[in-house]
Amino acid sequence: MHFAMPPRKTSHPPPYAARNQSSLPIPPALKNLFRGGKLRTLALGILGFLTLVWLLRGSGGRDTGVNIPQIPIGSGPPVVIVTTLDPKADATWAGKIKKNREDYAKKHGYLTFFPPNDQYPIGSSPKTWSKVPAVRHAMTLYPGSTFFWYLDSAALIMNPSIDLQSHILKASRLEEIMITNEPVVPPDSVIKTFGNLKGDRIDFVVTQDKEGLVPTSMIIRNGEWAKYFLDAWFDPIYRSYNFQKAESHALEHIVQWHGTMLAKLALVPQNLLNSYATGPANPKFGKYKEGDLVANFPSCARDKADCANEHQAFFDILERKDE
Amino acid sequence: MSRSPSPRPGGWSSPGLNTPYDSGGRSSPFANGSSNNVTWASAQARSANVKGYTAFTPRNQGFFGKHFRRLSTSLPFSYGDKEKLGRGRGYQGNSRIMQMLNRIGWNLWRLRKPLGTILAILLVYILFYVTPLHRMYRRSSWFGGGSKFVVILAANQGGGVMEWKGPREWAIERDSVKNKKKYTQKWGYDLEIVDMSTKKRYAHEWRESWEKVDTIRNAMRKYPRAEWFWWLDTNTFIMEPTYSLQNHIFKQLKDITYRDINVYNPLNISHPLTDEYLDPETRSPIGDGKVDSINMIVPQDCGGFNLGSFLVRRSVWTDRLFDIWWDPVGYEQKHMEWEHKEQDALEYMYKNQPWIRPHVAFIHQRKINAFPPGACGEKGNDPHIHYHENERDFLVNMAGCEWGRDCWGEMYKYRQLSNRLNRNPWEKVKDWISDSVKARRDAKKKKEEEQKKTN
Repeated sequence: MHFAMPPRKTSHPPPYAARNQSSLPIPPALKNLFRGGKLRTLALGILGFLTLVWLLRGSGGRDTGVNIPQIPIGSGPPVVIVTTLDPKADATWAGKIKKNREDYAKKHGYLTFFPPNDQYPIGSSPKTWSKVPAVRHAMTLYPGSTFFWYLDSAALIMNPSIDLQSHILKASRLEEIMITNEPVVPPDSVIKTFGNLKGDRIDFVVTQDKEGLVPTSMIIRNGEWAKYFLDAWFDPIYRSYNFQKAESHALEHIVQWHGTMLAKLALVPQNLLNSYATGPANPKFGKYKEGDLVANFPSCARDKADCANEHQAFFDILERKDE
Repeated sequence: MSRSPSPRPGGWSSPGLNTPYDSGGRSSPFANGSSNNVTWASAQARSANVKGYTAFTPRNQGFFGKHFRRLSTSLPFSYGDKEKLGRGRGYQGNSRIMQMLNRIGWNLWRLRKPLGTILAILLVYILFYVTPLHRMYRRSSWFGGGSKFVVILAANQGGGVMEWKGPREWAIERDSVKNKKKYTQKWGYDLEIVDMSTKKRYAHEWRESWEKVDTIRNAMRKYPRAEWFWWLDTNTFIMEPTYSLQNHIFKQLKDITYRDINVYNPLNISHPLTDEYLDPETRSPIGDGKVDSINMIVPQDCGGFNLGSFLVRRSVWTDRLFDIWWDPVGYEQKHMEWEHKEQDALEYMYKNQPWIRPHVAFIHQRKINAFPPGACGEKGNDPHIHYHENERDFLVNMAGCEWGRDCWGEMYKYRQLSNRLNRNPWEKVKDWISDSVKARRDAKKKKEEEQKKTN
């Protein structure tokens, strides 16, 4: 096809188009730099590399430190049950207590640890202090486990079918059951448990009876916080202070005075972890009922000869269940 | 160059006639031989004088006029090509200086590119240090990293309700603050000056000057991006402001600190812990041995820990330490015994709470906390403790100078010494001249006195 005349040029010239259509806006001066020969690109490449090295210089050079075996928390059995036993106590009773824990642990894949209560450097302080280094000791022995449940020798596990994790320790469950804004020392302590704590940030689960916090049944999560908490609690300054109730008053003290401890504490209803068969139970939900996880006899712990007798009826119930 | 339009009373010279070297100049339009006539040119020149500028420039007058062409051909501002230069060279200069200048000029022109680059670099370098640019560079977290450090300076220690400060105390404080301000500004750190006067801060107790902890915590809140906090007492003086914390301490942290207290153990703390119930890291003499796990750096003097100058890092561990440091039960039982308050409490905790040990590193005292003579020994010759001028120690802490020593005197002495040690070369030359003059004068005086005596 042809025309006699070439087509007229349009009288509306297109606006100047951008020279480069690349998405990266490189200034022309820089582009000229790149346009040179091979040597120039090489030099630029080296310069760029050196800049990169210089920028990353700080992050390089890992030091390995000393060789301490690192076992990640969570790689072992989830829960370790710790009970300190008096080596002078009646052997058959001690055996029964051990069996009580071992049966429960076997059922859920947990571990048990029964250190004698005189093997730790407590000095002249009451023997009940031994629970603190005992938990630390268990953490040393089973560094892969996540939770350490200290259960006093005066307490019995009455409902072995309850799994500790779904019963208490799961983050969502913990958030559900923890008691917030509750005076740490009953009736009217100024310091109250924190609200809006996240379940997975809780490192310490404990209960409260009528008189205050009771460390006879408590769960501590393994980790750096646990070391801090246990070591601070075990400080000789508290052991020598003659707190009326030894370590439980020391616990109440440190928890009330130190925010980094209270922020990790979850107070749960007493019957979930530490129901009292005898003694000053929490008036709301402290008394032992059929089906509770634990039955505790705090009074027998003080004059230990009685424990075997008081436990007898409950051992019978457990045996009947097994059959 | 001001040129008189009429250089001689005799009138105008003819440039074309008396300048044999002017080869290429245009012929003068007003070259007339007669000297006394008022010519058109001289009239114009005079009127130009009235106007303030000359309408034309008589060429080739005097030295510059005569040589300008040849100079200019060899100078960079002439766009002369090589041919012209060749011609310029062909002439035999009438002086050797000219030849030399010529050669220098030519060489400069030939080397204009590298020289220009060097000059540009020099200019950039000077501009970098003259403007606040270098401070921004040192402060930025990408390059210098200065914003990661905060210096906390305790001011007004023991002041407030307990005692009034005299002019000397004010002078000490002013010097100390000025010293740290200069230092932090130089390296792009933050400086937090805190008032440590004794106050009744808590309604239920008298917590005498245990505020170190609260103060550092406040600073941590105030500078949320900073990582390391350096606590300094009032009676300290940074002797070497040219040392940055990064170069002096943190780049070689592993080499200049020791985790195992047995290296220097004035308190005889048994270390490492051996209790079986503790985990291997806590029982290890040096924690996990990694630099990353150091959260606190403390110097030790002859009597144990010294918190006159120490460093803490923002970390969860530090939060816990600061939380447990002050405890009412400890305070109640020990506050009479713990004369040095936080310092004693920290020593106590280090001994009795195993979780602390793996994260504390000790630093050789003279690195951040050298003592003057009088503290820890009268002579001041302990190589681990006392300040050494020749080794240019970083900081002097006039610890305990308020107990029977002269704080102001010491502060003054060390300030002068620091200034003298850090003179720039020009100041050194000046001082050398004045010193030698003084020495000569003194010698003279002595001689005269001796003569007088002999007479």
